[in-house]
Amino acid sequence: MPSEPITAANGTIPRSLPVLRASRIAKRYGGVTALAEGELELAPGEVHVLIGANGSGKSTLCKIIAGATGPDSGVVELDGAPRHFKAPRDAAAVGISVCYQELSLIPQLSVAQNIFLGREKVVARTFVNSRKLNDDAARLMERFQGVAGENFFPNTLVSDLSADQQQLVEILKTAAEDGRIVIFDEPTSSLDNRQVELFFGLVREMKSAGKAIVFISHRMRELFEIGDRMTVMRNGRTVGTFDAADATEGQIIGMMIGNDIVSSAQSPQEKSPQARSAKTVLQADNLTGRTLNGVSLDLAEGEILGLGGLHGQGQSALLRSLFGADPAADGIIKIDGKVVKVSGPRAAMALGLAYVSGDRGRDGTLSHRPVFENLALARLNKSHATYIDVAAVSDQVLPVAERLKLKYAGLGSPISQLSGGNQQKVVLGRWLAAEPRILLLDDPTKGIDLQTKKDLYALLAELCLGGMSILFYSSDDTELLSVSDRVLVFADGQVVDELAGERLTEFELNQAAFASSASAEATA
Amino acid sequence: MTMHTSSTAGTLSSSRKFEFRRHPYLLAVGVFILLSIVNAILQPSFLRPAVAVSNLASFMPLILVAVGQTYVILASDIDLSVGFIISVVNVVVVTTIEALGGSGGAILAGFAAGIATGILAGLVNGLCVAVLRFQPIVTTFATGIIFAGVALWILPQAGGQVPAIVWRTYAGAVAGVPVVLWLLAAVLVFIAVFARTRFHTALVAVGGNMQAAYQTKLPVTRIRITSYVISGLFAALAALALVGETASGDPLLGGAFSLSSITAVVLGGTALAGGRGGALGSLFGAIILGLIANVIFFAQLPFEYQNLAQGLVILLALAGGVFVARR
Repeated sequence: MPSEPITAANGTIPRSLPVLRASRIAKRYGGVTALAEGELELAPGEVHVLIGANGSGKSTLCKIIAGATGPDSGVVELDGAPRHFKAPRDAAAVGISVCYQELSLIPQLSVAQNIFLGREKVVARTFVNSRKLNDDAARLMERFQGVAGENFFPNTLVSDLSADQQQLVEILKTAAEDGRIVIFDEPTSSLDNRQVELFFGLVREMKSAGKAIVFISHRMRELFEIGDRMTVMRNGRTVGTFDAADATEGQIIGMMIGNDIVSSAQSPQEKSPQARSAKTVLQADNLTGRTLNGVSLDLAEGEILGLGGLHGQGQSALLRSLFGADPAADGIIKIDGKVVKVSGPRAAMALGLAYVSGDRGRDGTLSHRPVFENLALARLNKSHATYIDVAAVSDQVLPVAERLKLKYAGLGSPISQLSGGNQQKVVLGRWLAAEPRILLLDDPTKGIDLQTKKDLYALLAELCLGGMSILFYSSDDTELLSVSDRVLVFADGQVVDELAGERLTEFELNQAAFASSASAEATA
Repeated sequence: MTMHTSSTAGTLSSSRKFEFRRHPYLLAVGVFILLSIVNAILQPSFLRPAVAVSNLASFMPLILVAVGQTYVILASDIDLSVGFIISVVNVVVVTTIEALGGSGGAILAGFAAGIATGILAGLVNGLCVAVLRFQPIVTTFATGIIFAGVALWILPQAGGQVPAIVWRTYAGAVAGVPVVLWLLAAVLVFIAVFARTRFHTALVAVGGNMQAAYQTKLPVTRIRITSYVISGLFAALAALALVGETASGDPLLGGAFSLSSITAVVLGGTALAGGRGGALGSLFGAIILGLIANVIFFAQLPFEYQNLAQGLVILLALAGGVFVARR
């Protein structure tokens, strides 16, 4: 229990001078502020946990420290001297290594070649002794022998490895770089408990060798097990650094979401009975796929069901499988109680489903094409006419544009001239013109302005009154909680909690998202 | 853990399972054997040493360009200009030798000028693609047109002659072994040695996942430039072999080599997407293309069917590779 204020870093660890200090780091991507005031101080021989909710700026801060991107302002100091890294090479040259969340492996090369890529010991400055390379790799891989599964050899091609084996290779590759400062960005998300334990053994060795280690994970239990100090980030700002021993889970989640009210009384998974008189429209039963581990849900008429949790825990995968864009391998989908087969988007549309993605570039707009074509697309798909009656279709799409309060020069102007928010309205409008019954929203407000968001919320409420049912995934927790009637919390491709009524709070949401992993691991 | 370590040291060292994927050139070797048999049936003299050597001499230019092209394709780029590099180098060599009077020194100077030209052309390609980030297909298509123009500007009409010693040497023997066999041996040694360099691994890495290679701190830009320079160098060597074969200059000589070299590389099992394959396969791919032309010729097909048959046989060879790979 904390006997001292948790912002004071006067505990057992940082007696020596910091090896690295990042101060007042800011970074914007277009109009979006990824980092407003990032601070991080690393001491040699510590494991420093970096924690924060979705989009709090952890990854951006790490990327700047690693030289993968440059800051707009702020200073990164190494041993007290300011440094400007132009590329990952510059940061590596002074001993900063990164274990990338998205991995940095070459599928066509072997495990050994990947571990030592670019740093191979060479004969005559040119030639690689592949036997020695394999032997060296084997020595490193021995650490995970027994937990790594089958076919995990130095000469196995990385493309033949499973996801957890690839993660182990990325870890070994990072460790072999032997940097003074090592950043592990979510290295444990695909590992099982035994693998995590052995990985922690490696981290402890690195720590006792005097290295400074940054550890990012969304599994609360791990953070307390391995962390010496913790830095919490919120909305692009560092809100506090403290000794792990002085903190509780509740305090950390409180700092992450910006209130210090700690509710220790946790009512056990108690599903609040919904006052839903309406009938169930959509039912999914045990959907299973590459990133889905058995998801079940039911959606009532006129309901907005939110999908929450950390990024990439299966929310988008669920929506895309329901829409048939990436069909699930297993499971049953029912509409109005009848089992349906959604083989592709075309079938989904025929069943009255519509899918709007926040990834407008990939999933949404026909860039450079007129607003008219973008709006009319789904509607046209429903008709069987060979020729398009432009005037008639215009009459159909114009009311939609009006309803969306769309700001545009004319139906003929290219969509790329519209603001991001208005482009998103067009994509939504396209589906409304096709008159769906079930709307699948995949982070639809990503990167759009406040006014447009408000318009969208109002519209969603109106649509529900009209009987439409909505599945709503948002990476913005506040928005998710205020718009949704219920929220399903996702972790590792599973629904780990359902929030409704009084439990629709940021605290409960984060509690469920961060603490869930223990239960998810048990089944993994 | 400790229980395992002693016994696992052996098993960890490697998996010894034979995997076809790791030897993508094997299919080309199979096709090569098959075509050789067919060729030997149609042309009984095929296996006579003199005929084999003369065949090899005429296949050598394509072998050389294809080997160079492999390294560009491994890095997931492509070089459509190699054929026109051959043209430029060919006319540079011939005109230089003629201008300097055809002495032994003039020949050496001509060869040196040709090789320098090839390297320079490769450097231009590499800088455009890797530094200026132009799209590789379109860029090398365009530089190829420029190289073709330069070749025509240097030597507007086919002509010129190189001293007899050049083609006599190319067709002759050193230490009792035909020169083209020495060349073939040199190419094989180069392929084997080069595949063991750190640079070769880097090429595969860049072709396999460029972003990961960058994050792994590989000098991606320099690697891509170097691969184009190697391709230019091998195109120049191919042009020298052509000079030995034809003994004269021709500004339109090379064009067809661009697509043939890419075909040879693909037949040899190298993935056009990059990251997978090797130059040994390309060598066999080039020989296969040569043998196909032979077989068509000796099958005594009417002239108007020869192109059709050649295209079909190439498609068949490709289909075989796809079939085996998808098993």
